[in-house]
Amino acid sequence: MTEPEHLLTVTPLHTPAGPFVLEVTGELDHHSAPLLAQAVKEAPFDSHGVIIDLSGLAYCDSTGITVLLTAYQRSQAAGSPLSFAGVNPDQMRVFQVVGLDQVFTFHATAQEAVSALQR
Amino acid sequence: MATVAIVDTDRVWFKAAHGLTDVTQIRRDPGLCSSAILHGEPYVVADAATDARALANPLVQGDIGVRFYAAAPITTADGQRLGTVDVLDTRPRKPTDVQLDTLQDLAALVMDELELRLSAIRTVAAERDRRTEAERLARTLQRTLLPPALPTVPGLQAAAAYHTASPHEVGGDFYDLFPLDDGRWAFFLGDVCGKGAEAAALTSLTRYTLRAAAIYHPDPCAALSHLDSVLKGEYQGSDPRYCTAVFGVLQPLADGSFTVTLAGGGHPSALAVRVGGRVEPISTAGGQLVGMLPNPQFVQTTTRLSPGESLLLYTDGLTEARTPDGTMLDEDGLTQHLLSTYVHAEDRSADGLLGSVEALLHRLGDGVSDDTALLALSVPIQPEPRTQEKR
Repeated sequence: MTEPEHLLTVTPLHTPAGPFVLEVTGELDHHSAPLLAQAVKEAPFDSHGVIIDLSGLAYCDSTGITVLLTAYQRSQAAGSPLSFAGVNPDQMRVFQVVGLDQVFTFHATAQEAVSALQR
Repeated sequence: MATVAIVDTDRVWFKAAHGLTDVTQIRRDPGLCSSAILHGEPYVVADAATDARALANPLVQGDIGVRFYAAAPITTADGQRLGTVDVLDTRPRKPTDVQLDTLQDLAALVMDELELRLSAIRTVAAERDRRTEAERLARTLQRTLLPPALPTVPGLQAAAAYHTASPHEVGGDFYDLFPLDDGRWAFFLGDVCGKGAEAAALTSLTRYTLRAAAIYHPDPCAALSHLDSVLKGEYQGSDPRYCTAVFGVLQPLADGSFTVTLAGGGHPSALAVRVGGRVEPISTAGGQLVGMLPNPQFVQTTTRLSPGESLLLYTDGLTEARTPDGTMLDEDGLTQHLLSTYVHAEDRSADGLLGSVEALLHRLGDGVSDDTALLALSVPIQPEPRTQEKR
């Protein structure tokens, strides 16, 4: 039996003396969520902060939202700023319905998120 | 010419052949393969023209004109002979013992190859059976979490449905409708995160927690807060879980209408279909998902359902479904659908409302990627008397 095909890529980008960026591209669902969960687990969550870039996200189900919430919980516990970048309108609508638009910090692009963290 | 032949009760099947074209199967005429398979060791016809065993065989008599034939049986580990590996020629030949040993080795290789294939097929089939069984169990468990039938609420019609998006992934949607002890009725509908057996377990906990909470917490927001505490206690640590839900209380009024108090925790708006066909969102926007946020806000709202009006509750499998042009259906698309299909007042019964939404789900087809629970409540235009004593 072959493993179900993962249509998700998660790319960690370390910037020297800057925030840690996780680029998430593709479909974040029940099957692929462990990939992002592992990346969140390995993220530093230090004073430089963490940015999750969702501009390449095509789909996110409830398991995917659980992973994003786990990242939020870690950032709160560590006192490390967390922001989400490039959220598309459909995904923002989903965040609004579950009330996460009031909880998460959003920026239009990863670059804006980096600038906001460095101010 | 060379072949790998499988011999069954009626026919000889050439499953592989070299130099023998246009013949894939022949009758079981004696003399060649059909005779060879009766022997546990290599079978040789050095010259069919002078060999009484093979003389009458169609391959010898026909256009091909086989003169030489040697075969080694393909034998299973338990001694059953399935067929033969054959070499043939149109000239007489005398094979050496070494050549016949090689032929027997080739037959053994074919058997190994068949065993390997068979074992792979069996493994795949066993794996598929296990998965089907696991899915069936998860589906069965999930079904037991829904009420087998909705209770009869005097003066109200209620209808519910559970729409499954994929037989392979069991979702965790839930709903219920039940009496409180003071003449009021409570209902809830929601969706837990995740899929499969774990989602079913979370659904079970959520459903029983909400039913119990309804008794002790007359305020719908308090019931959601109670659920939030229970989920946090149960799923603390590295494996947190959440759900979204609406929880409502129905208070029957003297004029036949009902006051509906609705609390939402991260759940899409309910939709009320008013007299005249107007569709009004009963929004609990701002309410947050249950079980994973430090201090979640739940939002409560109140509306009145008069005779001829109905209320639709649904999970996001419906509003997050994709329309044929690739966009999300969303609340707007659902509202448009209800406005366009709700032509007649009699369609505004709970059954009519449910039927309309189920038709929409059917039309969206593969665009619906998640399970969807639906609960429709309606107040009939002419409410039946509260108690009927026809004797």
